[in-house]
Amino acid sequence: MTGQTYSIHICDDWISISLPGWDMILAAQSALSTDGHWTEIVPGIDSIAAQFDPALLSPAEAVRIASERMERLAPMASESPSAVKIPVCYDLAFAPDREFVAGKIGIDADILPAWHAARTQRVAMLGFMPGFAYLQSIEECDTIGRLATPRQSVAAGSIGIIGRQSCIYSFDSPGGWPIIGRTPLRLFDPARTKPALLSAGATVCFEPISKDMFDNWETEAEE
Amino acid sequence: MSITVLKAGLQTTLQGAPYTGHRHLGMPAAGAADCLSLALANFLVAKSFGETAIEIALTDASFRFNEPCSLAVVGAAEYLRINGDEQPLHRTLEIKAGDRIDIGPSRPGCRTYLAISAAIHAESLLGGRSTYLAARLGGFQGRTLGNGDVITFSPDSPETAGDRITPEHLRPHFSYDHVLRITPGPETDQISESLLDNLCLAPYIVGGRANRMGIALEGTALSASESADMPSAAVFPGTIQLPPSGQPYLLGPDAQTTGGYPRIAQVIRADRHLIGQLATGSRIRFVRTTPEKAMDIYREKLSLLSSWLGRIKLW
Repeated sequence: MTGQTYSIHICDDWISISLPGWDMILAAQSALSTDGHWTEIVPGIDSIAAQFDPALLSPAEAVRIASERMERLAPMASESPSAVKIPVCYDLAFAPDREFVAGKIGIDADILPAWHAARTQRVAMLGFMPGFAYLQSIEECDTIGRLATPRQSVAAGSIGIIGRQSCIYSFDSPGGWPIIGRTPLRLFDPARTKPALLSAGATVCFEPISKDMFDNWETEAEE
Repeated sequence: MSITVLKAGLQTTLQGAPYTGHRHLGMPAAGAADCLSLALANFLVAKSFGETAIEIALTDASFRFNEPCSLAVVGAAEYLRINGDEQPLHRTLEIKAGDRIDIGPSRPGCRTYLAISAAIHAESLLGGRSTYLAARLGGFQGRTLGNGDVITFSPDSPETAGDRITPEHLRPHFSYDHVLRITPGPETDQISESLLDNLCLAPYIVGGRANRMGIALEGTALSASESADMPSAAVFPGTIQLPPSGQPYLLGPDAQTTGGYPRIAQVIRADRHLIGQLATGSRIRFVRTTPEKAMDIYREKLSLLSSWLGRIKLW
């Protein structure tokens, strides 16, 4: 990769690398993770950050090592082998903003589940809270904005949507995304081998389920 | 073996080393907000710098020790009393079963650490034990301690600290005036060339919105019109973000892992422990430095501390 396509900014103990697109960010994440120099490697939407211990590595060395990695970077294969299936109950009990969102898109609220489930999404990054996933679909949908007043509490598993982005709340928390459904899966469980259900780059398919299925979901089955 | 919380105070939690290597999963650092005070307290009871201790914020707190052990208190507390008798901070103290410990409010400063010579039982996950409040993980059931809670701990290890006293020159100075050194953040130059000059021009005051996650700063508003949303990207404890209001926001130990406001500056690692001592009303003066100088400052600080504490890390 040439110098035009990435740029590195150094703070005292972390660097931010601007990169063009998901594939390069995932490739950078993979490349940096083999270095052994970085205590944290955090993908963003159009950048990646890596933190280091300034007792062990100087800022100049950090920039040099990262630059070398970026020069040799090739995009990762863009599709993960299989999509992660996320069951979602779009019942109004879990979807306080279903009517609002359907209205913004200009469709009937009854077909919102099918509309949402038909959009294949990709995990852009995790952030906000442990396991909280930011997803992006290719289709633009600019009409759905943030709620005018954020909710004081959004239930864990809630699916939010703003424009072409969706999100999945991993814990009960305040939040301003319009909510159109809820998954019974646990997004983050520190007792699992992989605590976070999703990771940056994963493809996600939403599968509508009934309220009965949601209520009787065996959480043990998610491993 | 146990400690009963008689008076928990505003926000008392079990804190030790931060969680590391999990920010890409959205897991924040958490851990002691003032890691230097934690390290000093742990050393007085012969513990490693990042082991679990009790972190007390702002208000006074009281405990009853149901078994004997050694303890040490380091931080912003106005006083320490054992069974009503005034005792010094920064010193190893022997506790008998039934003793009552009263820790005064933080004046000046914000946080105090109570370390004990035995291993405090705390919820373990992802290689850590610190409390992360927002997701109710780690520490004592993932939450702040309440009146009547019982903290359990393992019997004292055979290694004893003896009577240790922190050397005077290594005791942090507590006040409501702080100098925090910063380096430019990734979005600094995109906003305006004079942004950091303006940030460093006059002191900022710690606003009423201040907790372990972050601190709203009050002072000169910075180029609000230029501060647009940006695609979400990594943030860290010590990152200063600029929301559209133009009032900078300083992230603390529980900082979320990513954010969408421009990252205009980063408090250097050597000064980050001071963030844990910022109380509402405190004044902060930001001073600009370079990444290379920040590294020198950090290494010098570690070198000074290692003469007393041995090998430690700050975070």
